[in-house]
Amino acid sequence: MQTFPLPPKPLFRLPSDGKPARASSLLFSSLINCFRLIMATRLQFENSCEVGVFSKLTNAYCLVAIGGSENFYSAFESELADVIPVVKTSISGTRIIGRLCAGNKNGLLVPHNTTDQELQHLRNSLPDQVVVQRIEEKLSALGNCIACNDHVALTHADLDKETEEIIADVLGVEVFRQTIAGNILVGSYCAFSNRGGLVHPHTSIQELDELSTLLQVPLVAGTINRGSEVIAAGMTVNDWTAFCGSDTTATELSVIESVFKLREAQPTAIVNEMRSSLIDSYV
Amino acid sequence: MPRKPTGHSSRLLPVRPLTFSPFARSVARVATAYMVKHHACDAMQHSAGDEFKKLKKVERQSESSEDEEFDGVVQADFAFFDPKPDDFHGVKTLLQSYLDNKEWDLSGFVDLILGQTTVGTVVKLEDDEENGVFSIITALNLERYKDHKCITELKEFLLSICLEKDKIGNLRSLLGDKAHDVGLLVSQRVVNLPPELLPHLYDALFDEIAWATEDEPTEELRNSFRFKFYIVVSKIYKHKNASQKRSSSTDEDDAFIYVKPEEEILHKMSMWSFLFPLQTQQVAAHELKNYQLNGTVMAVKAEDISSFRQQLHTLINES
Repeated sequence: MQTFPLPPKPLFRLPSDGKPARASSLLFSSLINCFRLIMATRLQFENSCEVGVFSKLTNAYCLVAIGGSENFYSAFESELADVIPVVKTSISGTRIIGRLCAGNKNGLLVPHNTTDQELQHLRNSLPDQVVVQRIEEKLSALGNCIACNDHVALTHADLDKETEEIIADVLGVEVFRQTIAGNILVGSYCAFSNRGGLVHPHTSIQELDELSTLLQVPLVAGTINRGSEVIAAGMTVNDWTAFCGSDTTATELSVIESVFKLREAQPTAIVNEMRSSLIDSYV
Repeated sequence: MPRKPTGHSSRLLPVRPLTFSPFARSVARVATAYMVKHHACDAMQHSAGDEFKKLKKVERQSESSEDEEFDGVVQADFAFFDPKPDDFHGVKTLLQSYLDNKEWDLSGFVDLILGQTTVGTVVKLEDDEENGVFSIITALNLERYKDHKCITELKEFLLSICLEKDKIGNLRSLLGDKAHDVGLLVSQRVVNLPPELLPHLYDALFDEIAWATEDEPTEELRNSFRFKFYIVVSKIYKHKNASQKRSSSTDEDDAFIYVKPEEEILHKMSMWSFLFPLQTQQVAAHELKNYQLNGTVMAVKAEDISSFRQQLHTLINES
């Protein structure tokens, strides 16, 4: 059983056990990571551009479907391997794991038809602080019904009251029942992280403002995969990186990089922040 | 230049979406313009291609199903359109399993098809807001597009799955030195598309090819549509015991079952054809439990096409 530490934040202190070599290698590796993680990645699962259907990315872990070729898994591995665990899994024997489960760094909710072996595999592979919970909810496509980051969740209007409480409890979020551009499947039509969000292209300005206030992040209405409205099916995102379907145009990709602030991982900014934190630790 | 929205405001987007980029603005414009086009279709002038398609539509209204009972029968008016860039997602969905489960430049292939507006037809509903594509048919000259990644990958795939040594030489020559005379016939549709459309669909395609040989602006393009051969890549069901000869009960069990009816005719008149095993798992219906779905590649001579068209008319009108 492998335990992973929490991902390194851009600001970090020298380790207190005073191992200078390790500190500098951490600094160096995170600088390298900053260079690498600036861009969102385009990829495909077999011939499908619906990346968000076959994967689930959070700040603490990444779930990937078991697919025909290894390319999909390796794309995630190469970006994330030394930062968070990348776990191959199925949910209730299917590959559409991104649409069946919902989670953030605090927990993962899986539907009632998840098998015991899958549940055990997830509990074994994910970090200890991530609570994996199977919930009895008749709407079993939790990924389509729940959209969340580490602080707020938007849910389908018809979700059970107990489910809402479990979401608030396990994921540690504030729960709001919402629709997006008239669509009740909030989990499908928006994708948001702690830094920004992308919603259905037909969302009105008033609704954008309302959602932005609820979520406390900047939001933009846009498309993915060359005009597809099903945002969350076409991409998956966390605070520092995003994966989009390969049909995503350069314009869509630049919007994603700007609204999710993926480009703001400027190396010089990171170094300056780190330098100031290093100096702090001496004081 | 897209037409400005007319007064059919109930059918249009209630609020023009707030768009942040030229791409999204063009998507929003096309969404409104498309709906307007079909409201205004009676009065406005069309390009020559669309006019032809209007005639086809009038004929077909008599063929569309007329039952309005709630027993699962739906009335639908199908119309033929020139391929357009917004058909991208619909056509891509139809062609998902074109080359079995090989990962290839499918998006590029769809772009090629949609870029060739002179030859090629997309079947959609007459007044469909969702722009659903029901069928695509086109013919692509292998030489004209030989530099595109999708065509090179397709050729590699076909050469790699051909396990019959006597056919591979023919295939190699059609894909190689004879490529300028070869058209890749791509025809894909939803499973329950009414078969009455098929003769018209194929007539439309072959008529457009004939017109293209006269109407295209350059000599090179005109020649590129003078096909001598067509290659068809598709899937058919083969009886699992097909190796047994006539001794088995051939009255009940045909050797092959064709998903698309026109392929029976094409298969019989083909110069050569071969089967290849598919890697994707197939769910077998109960009636087809003795059959295995195989991929197939057939080559047909262009001079046999007029006979094919007649046979297709007969086949559909009989059944």
